[in-house]
Amino acid sequence: MFSRTRYVFRETFDSFRRNATLTIASIITAAISLLGVGLTLLSQEGFDNLLSKWEGGVEMIIFMRPDVTDDQRALIESSLDQNNQFIESWTYCDVDCSLAERDRVLAAEPGVKDLLNADNIPTQYKAVPTEATDVQLLRQVSEAFSEGPGVFEVVFAEDQISLIEQLQSFFGFRLFLLSGFLLLAAILLIWNTIRTAIFARRREIEVMKLVGATDWFIRVPFMLEGLLHGVIGGALASLGLGIWNSQWTSGVQGFPPNSGFASLVVTSGYDKTVMLYMLIIGAVAGAIGSGIAASRFLDV
Amino acid sequence: MIRLENVTKSYSTEIVAVKDASFDVAKGEFVFLVGPSGSGKSTLLRMLNRQDRPERGAVWVAGRNIVDLPSGRIPMLRRNIGNIFQDYKLLLEKNVFENVAFAQEVIGRPQHVIRQQVPAVLDLVGLAGKEERLPNQLSGGEQQRVSIARAFVNRPLILLADEPTGNLDPATGEGIMRLLDRINKTGTTIVMATHDQRIVNTMRKRVIQLDRGIIVRDQARGVYE
Ligand SMILES: Nc1ncnc2c1ncn2[C@@H]1O[C@H](COP(=O)(O)OP(=O)(O)O)[C@@H](O)[C@H]1O
Ligand SMILES: [Mg+2]
Repeated sequence: MFSRTRYVFRETFDSFRRNATLTIASIITAAISLLGVGLTLLSQEGFDNLLSKWEGGVEMIIFMRPDVTDDQRALIESSLDQNNQFIESWTYCDVDCSLAERDRVLAAEPGVKDLLNADNIPTQYKAVPTEATDVQLLRQVSEAFSEGPGVFEVVFAEDQISLIEQLQSFFGFRLFLLSGFLLLAAILLIWNTIRTAIFARRREIEVMKLVGATDWFIRVPFMLEGLLHGVIGGALASLGLGIWNSQWTSGVQGFPPNSGFASLVVTSGYDKTVMLYMLIIGAVAGAIGSGIAASRFLDV
Repeated sequence: MIRLENVTKSYSTEIVAVKDASFDVAKGEFVFLVGPSGSGKSTLLRMLNRQDRPERGAVWVAGRNIVDLPSGRIPMLRRNIGNIFQDYKLLLEKNVFENVAFAQEVIGRPQHVIRQQVPAVLDLVGLAGKEERLPNQLSGGEQQRVSIARAFVNRPLILLADEPTGNLDPATGEGIMRLLDRINKTGTTIVMATHDQRIVNTMRKRVIQLDRGIIVRDQARGVYE
């Protein structure tokens, strides 16, 4: 077993060395495409953060003053219920809920974040309108609410969501498509590199087959080689993503507070998850490319 | 050890390389396959280790019909069969020792076995002291000895030799034949394709003659005609 492991690694690294140009090309392509995949995931998460207060079809938020009384709240709630031909459902986001949302949305604006605390943060009613209620109608309904007791302000999704969603789908789709193509290119390059490696060793392979080496024994070094291309590509992409995210984070801190861009910063370890994804996708891409090459070109 | 039953192999409708061939080879026998170029000798040898498959007939090797052997079992068949060729098929960037050791490494033999058996077989073929040489630092006869060492190091039951003296001058060829005879005397069955008359006539072994894929003669202690 030891002799076998040694053999596999010796062959794999030999092949790396002999095939240096192609190997580097396929690793770089894999790295760039995986970075694309990673940035897509990361930016989507950022946009999701930005949109998180509008989750679940919420179209209108009534912010209440921090000093709102229970009576005032009861009044708002009963008028929300009375308006059930316009308002499908609503939820109340209390102090804890609003603080949690603050932590998420203002992660990169510590200055602004710290200004909001349990004593001064507005609590929120999030209302989902019925199908039939269009924005105009909702605005009219809201007039009444903005005049209501204890109300701080009323905000509409329409004004904030559409731009963000446009941006999200614009970047998301194109980045995703681009990284998809690049990933395909990476697989093809890995495939071609392994094919070349197999061709370069056809004499060895012929001898191996004649003396009775098993197919797997012959295949494994080649597959390992392709797998390593993908994993190294994924590792480089992770490094790139780490650098990108930290630069973005510090860049965003220079933006005017409350501009909204701050929520585009991804914290909470999601960046680590994305790095793990990139390693896994890289390994899978490498395995696919080299696996196809190995099974196609090693046939007796 | 080997039995062919009505074996036919064609590469296309016009090219029938081997036609309805039948013969038996006992354990420890030495058999020459003779015939002009293109008469089907190489094809016949290739069917004995499943490099080729006949479309009709049965090929028995060591008690098994290998025609329908599942591909996963082919490596085990081949571990019992050594091969040598006219062009040696040595790995040019490996030295003599590594070339022979390669045949053991790739079937998972442990290093301590390799360190013991490779020098022994190199000694047997007369290459002791040349372990570090690369193939291009050897004569043709020496290169063929390396290839015999590689074929024999795993102690196969059968040795298939396809024109092993084809690239060698007569004197060197005779040396190779003496070596093959020695290996045959250890009990290894040898089937050798050749069109070298002198060799066949001096060795006086069994001769199977092919003509356009058909066995036209099978003679004990035969000569080349
Ligand atoms: N791979 C192949 N494809 C097509 N025809 C082949 C192939 N190998 C051999 N042949 C043909 O089969 C016949 C027998 O060839 P071969 O077995 O090599 O003969 P020998 O070894 O006696 O010279 C020849 O006519 C040759 O052209
Ligand atoms: Mg031939």
